[in-house]
Amino acid sequence: MTDPTIKDFEAALTELDTIVKKLEDGDIPLEQSLQLFERGVQLSRFCHARLEEAERRIEILNERGQLQDAPASLLNDAESQKAKGKGQQNDV
Amino acid sequence: MSGSFFDLPFEEPSSAEATEGKPAGDDATGRPQPSPLEPEPRRVLTVSQLTARIRTLLEEQFFEVWVEGELSNCKVWTSGHMYFTLKDRGAQIKGVMFGSSLRLLRFKPADGLRVVARGRVSVYSPKGEYQISCEHMEPEGLGARQLAFEQLKERLAAAGLFDPQRKRALPALPRKIGVVTSLDGAAVRDIIKVLRRRYANAHVVIRPTRVQGEGAAMDIMRAIRAIGKVRDVDVVIIGRGGGSIEDLWAFNEEVVARAIAGCPVPTISAVGHETDVTIADFVADLRAPTPSAAAEMVVSRKDDFCARIDRLSQRLENTMSARLHRLEARLRMLESRSGYAGAHGRIAMRSRHAAELSHELRRAMRAQLARRERAYHALRLTLETFDLRRRLGGIRTRLATADGQLGAAFTKAHHACDARLRTAVARLESLSPLAVLGRGYAVCWDASRTQVIRDASTVNAGDRVRVTLERGELDCEVRK
Repeated sequence: MTDPTIKDFEAALTELDTIVKKLEDGDIPLEQSLQLFERGVQLSRFCHARLEEAERRIEILNERGQLQDAPASLLNDAESQKAKGKGQQNDV
Repeated sequence: MSGSFFDLPFEEPSSAEATEGKPAGDDATGRPQPSPLEPEPRRVLTVSQLTARIRTLLEEQFFEVWVEGELSNCKVWTSGHMYFTLKDRGAQIKGVMFGSSLRLLRFKPADGLRVVARGRVSVYSPKGEYQISCEHMEPEGLGARQLAFEQLKERLAAAGLFDPQRKRALPALPRKIGVVTSLDGAAVRDIIKVLRRRYANAHVVIRPTRVQGEGAAMDIMRAIRAIGKVRDVDVVIIGRGGGSIEDLWAFNEEVVARAIAGCPVPTISAVGHETDVTIADFVADLRAPTPSAAAEMVVSRKDDFCARIDRLSQRLENTMSARLHRLEARLRMLESRSGYAGAHGRIAMRSRHAAELSHELRRAMRAQLARRERAYHALRLTLETFDLRRRLGGIRTRLATADGQLGAAFTKAHHACDARLRTAVARLESLSPLAVLGRGYAVCWDASRTQVIRDASTVNAGDRVRVTLERGELDCEVRK
């Protein structure tokens, strides 16, 4: 997943966009269009991977600068709130 | 109407006083000056005139004034305006606040509340009353804070902290989402809830902090600094749930504002409810009306991105497969033409060559055609000037005539010849030796029948000669 030619998600998405447009416009020699296609596939895989990459994780940064997993109560609270108050969006 | 009635009783005493009154025009001082010997002419004002002067005086003097006191007799009329009395221990003043100003207040005025009001004094002539017409009002004690808020806002704005060009875009897809808030409030749960729902695999780092009370601002500042240093945290939500203006006050402190401005990654402020505006909102890269909304902003685009990438991938494949299909079709066509497979390269080369040749050919033909066309045009021009067709007609007629004459001449000549021929034949026949032979003569030839023998000495005994008779020939041998 560490492709040095791909800077980041946004850059990849922009490049993919450009490639698709170029290919759709036609007028590109076959050899070059094959290369573009391969690059496009590579980019779209990268983007998909990045979307799924982040961990499902909630951490607490404490006073001493250490990261710990959040206490279950915090997550369960969130879950139970979700369970009981359907569609309720209180910020108080 | 009643004016004249009430004016009358005042005429008498005022006339008596006027003897010691000042001359007209100087009554603003109102101080009587003793000059009993020279009675000044009285200057009598109507009530309306007096009231008008009072009105001018008060309204110019108290055009904008701040006053503090306790509210009483508050009443909002159906017109939307509020009438009230503002009082303290020694005095009271009537007041009015129009609906348009009333709606802008961030608190609800009520009897017994101590307030600071800003307005102007106005005089209501028909009733001889004056009142304060308020444009703004705030609970007492808030005034100092409001002032501090305005001053800080001005200072930070001047320092460029609110400049639009400072605002950074949120990352398209955050790696880790930083949250600076209290673990006790509902805000943190709301944020987690939304992040979980919208973006199941969100990685959240929470830096707990006090958000209200003594020292909260410093705590928030430290939290922002700390979370900005966590690796891969590329956006930070700073906020808390709703509360009173005092509860939210930490987010109006300069240390918090400076910390937000100094955060190395984009920030979203999410303080209280939509109507609460804090200094933090001005400094942050993005202001969210609520903590839930902040969480939505951070990840709302994930679904959009998924859809967009899917669409792009689809288009990528479609355009490529369409192209391959076209190529395949062309290849099949070439193969069927060539009659044997496996020579695509050569075929392609030849077909290119052929294409080039045919192009060349076409070009040459076109050039030649053009040349010929030019020549034809020139020729046609010449022909037309000579009017060949008319001349041809003339020639044809002449030719036909000549032809007819020739035919006639020929026939005539032929007949003449025929007659002469017949005469000649008749004469020839009369001269023919065959006619002599008919009379019994014979002709003697040599053996090869090439010479007539006229002299007997020209032949020897034993020679063969031929003799022609009228009918037939004899082959003879000479004896003597």
